[in-house]
Amino acid sequence: MFNQGLSLDQAPPASVPFKFFLTAPCFGILLGLVFFFYPLESITDQYSPVAVAAVHLFTLGMLAMIIFGSMQQMMPVLAGTPIKKPLLFANVVHTTLTLGTLFFSGSFLFSNKIMLMIGASFLAIAFFTFFITAIYLLFKVKYLTSTVNAMKIFAATGLVTALIGLYLSGSYISGNIGSLHFNFVNTHAAFGLFGFGVVLIMGVAFQVIPMFYVALDFPKYIQNKIPIFVLALIIAIGLFSFLDLDIYALKLILSIMFILFSIYGLNSLNHRRRPVFDVTLWFWKLSLYMFIAAMLNWVFIPQDNMFTIAIIFGFGFLYSLLQGMMYKIIPFLAWFHLSSSGHMLIPTMREMISEDLIKIHFFIYVSSLFFFIIAGFLSNVFLYIGALMFIVSNILLIINCTIAVRKYNKIAKTNPMDAFTQK
Amino acid sequence: MAETISSFMTADHRACDEEFAEMENAVAEDNWIEAQKKFDKFTTDLEHHFSMEEQVMFPTFEERTGMVGGPTAMMRMEHEQMRSVVGQMKGDLDSKNKDHFFGLSESLMMLMQQHNMKEEQMLYAMVDSHLGEDASLVISQMQGLEKK
Repeated sequence: MFNQGLSLDQAPPASVPFKFFLTAPCFGILLGLVFFFYPLESITDQYSPVAVAAVHLFTLGMLAMIIFGSMQQMMPVLAGTPIKKPLLFANVVHTTLTLGTLFFSGSFLFSNKIMLMIGASFLAIAFFTFFITAIYLLFKVKYLTSTVNAMKIFAATGLVTALIGLYLSGSYISGNIGSLHFNFVNTHAAFGLFGFGVVLIMGVAFQVIPMFYVALDFPKYIQNKIPIFVLALIIAIGLFSFLDLDIYALKLILSIMFILFSIYGLNSLNHRRRPVFDVTLWFWKLSLYMFIAAMLNWVFIPQDNMFTIAIIFGFGFLYSLLQGMMYKIIPFLAWFHLSSSGHMLIPTMREMISEDLIKIHFFIYVSSLFFFIIAGFLSNVFLYIGALMFIVSNILLIINCTIAVRKYNKIAKTNPMDAFTQK
Repeated sequence: MAETISSFMTADHRACDEEFAEMENAVAEDNWIEAQKKFDKFTTDLEHHFSMEEQVMFPTFEERTGMVGGPTAMMRMEHEQMRSVVGQMKGDLDSKNKDHFFGLSESLMMLMQQHNMKEEQMLYAMVDSHLGEDASLVISQMQGLEKK
């Protein structure tokens, strides 16, 4: 997602995305720990306070954290102007998002309204700072591409998600849960997951799949039409939900859009021109297959509980893809920033993180998905194994990313001219 | 409709991508003789693409707009960065160092793609809108440059 903003005068320092990327798996560990400290039934019941906390550890602490980190790299060049004071911007967003998520989720885990007030305030600062800047930058782009259009939808739906989220927090704080509460919750989820989450990933995929893997472009009608259709469908789902209408056709059309996108993505990856083995492809393919599985599950299998779908969609699709992206972005940015500041003796992208370590991480991650999913069919006990594997996989992600960041920091501290002097 | 700078140069980017992939294929198969040939073909065409921009398109654009230190300067800088990576890849090809070669080729590919994207999304469109009718003249001047 960093494919832009690469000229050093436009890109923020490498430390900015690294900080966001390393924070996300820490929230993954916290999320895994929730399974060991709270009754499993409360986690798998989507409307319980513990589930609200768990979902937001994921959507705010992991999803938004990685997206915000990478967008700071990408938006400046799409817009042709840098973010003013990139370090201050990054610090404000990172600190408020981190603290906001901790207090917000904590408030639901510990039933503490003061924590919710603090958390919601921090999150409001994080989201409004980010989205107002994003909207300002993205809406002044002159030459529109499918990616820019998708990102505009991402920013607009993200802002709506945040506003509804703030309203919902307000109603919890005041204890005034109105009759439309769950309509707002559903709309908040639809805008957040499908707009803020999926549409952004689509926009990024349109650009990144052909770019990382020298693969086929997505067909133009997919690139130009699907994000707009998805936006229209999300708005329709939101509006109809207030009329207490759960229209199956809307779900069906939305799923068809998402499945079409995944099929074209997989087709493009399977027919890529780059022959070199690349472990990040595993994450991409896993992600797109899981996306299809989640959608089929949503449309065709009656759900008494959304937990399994949430795992397939959230971890299987969203988090797999974001992890695969991080494994590309971190080595590249480390190499790019060092190379651009004149360092000669630097590891290549492939030497930044050992491929074997990434593979181990991948297998542990897949096993965590496996145990989470079979728990729905067999026994909740498997949730513990899934959660344990999830924690281990996040620790491995931190270790792997830290290896690259340390290599970067070590060389960045040296003077590029040292390469020419005798030791 | 007459060809635009945008469509002409974008097609040239894609041609370079294809040659890049063929070069990587040859290295992946340990076919070092073929790899050398593909590398030469790729670098000749890449350099030709850079020359079309640096010798014809950028000066014309700079003259028309007066923007000398702007986007064209940045594109020139990025060309230099890519030239430097290509130079290092040549060393790996000579010493048949496959792993290191792919480490660098991956970086080059990312540099190329992000660079192409900036040109295709912004610069070429700007050039087309400033040149108007004269775009086809610039294209024929660029086509006239010899490959070295």
